[in-house]
Amino acid sequence: MPRRALRSLVLVAIVIVAFWAGVAAQRPPTIAAAANLNFALNEIKDRFVRERGTPVEIVFGASGTLTRQIQDGAPFELFLAADEAFTSRLTVAGLTRDAGVVYALGRLVVFAPRGSPLTVDPRLDGLARLVKVGKGTLPGGGKFAIANPDVAPYGEAAEAVLQKHGLWDDLRPQLVLGDSIAQAAQFATTGNAIGGLLAYSLVVEPGFAQRGTYALIPDSDHLPLRQRMVLLKRASPTATQFYNYLQGQTAREIFRKNGYGVPPVAEPR
Amino acid sequence: MDWDALRVSLRLGAGTLAVLLPCGIWFGRVLAIRQFRGKSLVEALVTVPLVLPPTVLGFYLLFAFGARSPLGQAFQTLVGQSLPFSFQGLLLASAIANIPFVVQPIQRGFEAIPSDVRDAAACCGLTPWQRFLRIEVPLAWPGILTAAILTFAHTLGEFGVVLMVGGNLPGQTRTLSVAIYDRMQAFDDRSAGIMAATLLVIAVATLMLTTTLSRQVSPRRG
Amino acid sequence: MADRRLSVSLRQRTPIPLNVEFTCDPGEILAVFGPSGSGKTTILRSIAGLYCPEHASIRSGVEIWTETSTRTFAPPHRRTVGVVFQEYALFPHLTARGNVMTALGHRPARERAARADQLLDLVHLSTHHDRRPQQLSGGERQRVAVARALAREPAVLLLDEPFAAVDRTVRRRLQDEIDELRRTLEIPLVLVTHDFDDVVRLATHLLILDRGNAVASGALADLTSRPDLSWLRDAVGLGSVFEARVVRRNPERGLLELAFDGGTLLASDRVLNAGATVRVRIAARDVILATSEPKGLSLHNVLAGRVSALNADPAFEHIIVQINLGGVHLLAEVTRDAIARLDLVGGKQLYALIKSVSINVIPEFRMPSDQGPGPRTKNQAPRTK
Repeated sequence: MPRRALRSLVLVAIVIVAFWAGVAAQRPPTIAAAANLNFALNEIKDRFVRERGTPVEIVFGASGTLTRQIQDGAPFELFLAADEAFTSRLTVAGLTRDAGVVYALGRLVVFAPRGSPLTVDPRLDGLARLVKVGKGTLPGGGKFAIANPDVAPYGEAAEAVLQKHGLWDDLRPQLVLGDSIAQAAQFATTGNAIGGLLAYSLVVEPGFAQRGTYALIPDSDHLPLRQRMVLLKRASPTATQFYNYLQGQTAREIFRKNGYGVPPVAEPR
Repeated sequence: MDWDALRVSLRLGAGTLAVLLPCGIWFGRVLAIRQFRGKSLVEALVTVPLVLPPTVLGFYLLFAFGARSPLGQAFQTLVGQSLPFSFQGLLLASAIANIPFVVQPIQRGFEAIPSDVRDAAACCGLTPWQRFLRIEVPLAWPGILTAAILTFAHTLGEFGVVLMVGGNLPGQTRTLSVAIYDRMQAFDDRSAGIMAATLLVIAVATLMLTTTLSRQVSPRRG
Repeated sequence: MADRRLSVSLRQRTPIPLNVEFTCDPGEILAVFGPSGSGKTTILRSIAGLYCPEHASIRSGVEIWTETSTRTFAPPHRRTVGVVFQEYALFPHLTARGNVMTALGHRPARERAARADQLLDLVHLSTHHDRRPQQLSGGERQRVAVARALAREPAVLLLDEPFAAVDRTVRRRLQDEIDELRRTLEIPLVLVTHDFDDVVRLATHLLILDRGNAVASGALADLTSRPDLSWLRDAVGLGSVFEARVVRRNPERGLLELAFDGGTLLASDRVLNAGATVRVRIAARDVILATSEPKGLSLHNVLAGRVSALNADPAFEHIIVQINLGGVHLLAEVTRDAIARLDLVGGKQLYALIKSVSINVIPEFRMPSDQGPGPRTKNQAPRTK
């Protein structure tokens, strides 16, 4: 019977440890970032950690999803969205320190993986041709990938572009929606779609060159992707440091390298 | 290989067990032994998480405990953090989702004990507690062990509710299954592959364990 | 020995109707006999404390185990009761020794293993103490169950159809062992059975149960010599049971001479020692009546007696005659016509004729291992009323 008592004691110990470990953990500040920032932000983070010595954690996702999570109490300290509408939602709800700043300007590309029948060009003529030839459907029952316009600003922009070129109605049944721009890129690059409208910042990465071809979409074809970031009310000093770092020279260079436009230094709030 | 994620997964599995096993043993035994009105309703309720889409569970948990709900705000003031997007919130979601995996095998385990064996134990002079520890638990043990293994394995595989309620926070709510998804989004197929293989091995090992155990049950009954 | 007497009084309407009242003294075996569904198991469970009827009063000596009028109820672990269940209910995860040790909680821990072994030896299970129930035969399992029931040093021993699960040969041996227990333990024993053979073989007292009601109860010899128990007649047939003593064997003639209060009986020979006590059962249908002593018959047994009672109930197909043979009452079943022809009335002197082969001799307690020198039973005089 002492064996039984020991077993229950072990169980109780596990419960206590599980709860205590969860509460007592001192973790570095968590930053929520739109999925299009995958490569650029990781690079900036590495530099920041090397220079300042303090670590930060990044969680990538669709701007809409992250916004909802913050509203539900997720403990993020800094939020880098892919547009301004989502951050203003949080600001209006009183969850942020202030209205934040625009840190980068995003661009769309049309992308076709290796072996795809789609030819890429900034005016989407190649895509239009495919649609016309197939009389509405894409060859081989293929799909076209964009991010979900409801939760991802890049998806919203993609919809605007397709509307502008009169392709939205025909393509709609053939669209595959990623829950973030990163998932849309997944679909497009792994050959699960014949192509897609993706973030420039994701395809400009050196590793991407072998995966397929792309063409920049003129930013006049959609509302500007002004990407705004905000500090949340609970932001720690480290988070604030990172926020400032993102506006500094090193960070801006990295943004530019990764296909973003950067606003002039003193962007009005 | 995201060791943090593996740690979170294991902690979640162990934590779910720690919370559910004692309740499951008590509850499974009651269902096995007692007859009462509304028993079939209770048994049906126990099964509900099995057919409930994880997203539904996630939705209601967020609705009830999120920062926008009065319960959530109360929790926040009391404990200092929100319940969703914390390990504790994940533990709660996992516990609810695993109720059928714990209760049903344990109930079967206790049901398999012939009632005259229990009567005999009482007639041997054993108090109810002694009866429970020395006769019933050893005989229901295969059911209890099956419940533990199934629950642990199922917890490792949870995804939908973890993502919704946990939010993919590294070191806290990013379990191995969520980490796989996360790595894929980040175009890191290699890491995703390693972690997927790990989970697969664990799943297969679990299956083999449960099969071996269930084979051991029959010889016991003789 | 009122200090260990078991007193039971049970009454209820649902779920199973019950209305019985009886006592059982140390050294007695009370057989509760009836068809399935008659409530026998409910009675046993009530005595064990596994069930509490609507109205019940159960006492063991001065201990009150159940008393519904004062809402007193002692659960089984607080009654010193030993129960042998119908299918033995052994703990499958424990060895034979382990099973018995479970009931030795009242002894200091270091004594328990040795005491368990002792008890198993007592029930003639000298080896296999380390075996699990699945590895034991039916008879061996029953012995473990008995040892476990005895381990508590119970004030009452209850047996629920203990021989139902074993075959004939094993049953005989187990019955002997239960009989042996009765003589060595000084506690009341209650045996539930639907097999009259068990009753004849073991019981000292009988309670006949039909749908929860006691049809009759009392000493076995008395009940079996009552001419009016139609229930018993319908169920198993009437036949007196009484005790006799072996005088001598006559193997050349193939006969066994028995002495009882009513005279001498010659039964078919069997291996028994002189002085051994036996039970005798003679079916009423096997008894022939004569008003004069017959000669030239193959019959060996012609016993003189008087008609002590008659059951001429018109509902009966035949007449049951009770004959007093020196204090022992024998039953005979005859046609109505025979009554008229022989002019049978109470008090009439007549002869009871019994074939040797009709005398069912049941040895009382024989050691299973030896066939030779006598069993160590006390030399009991044939039972008087």
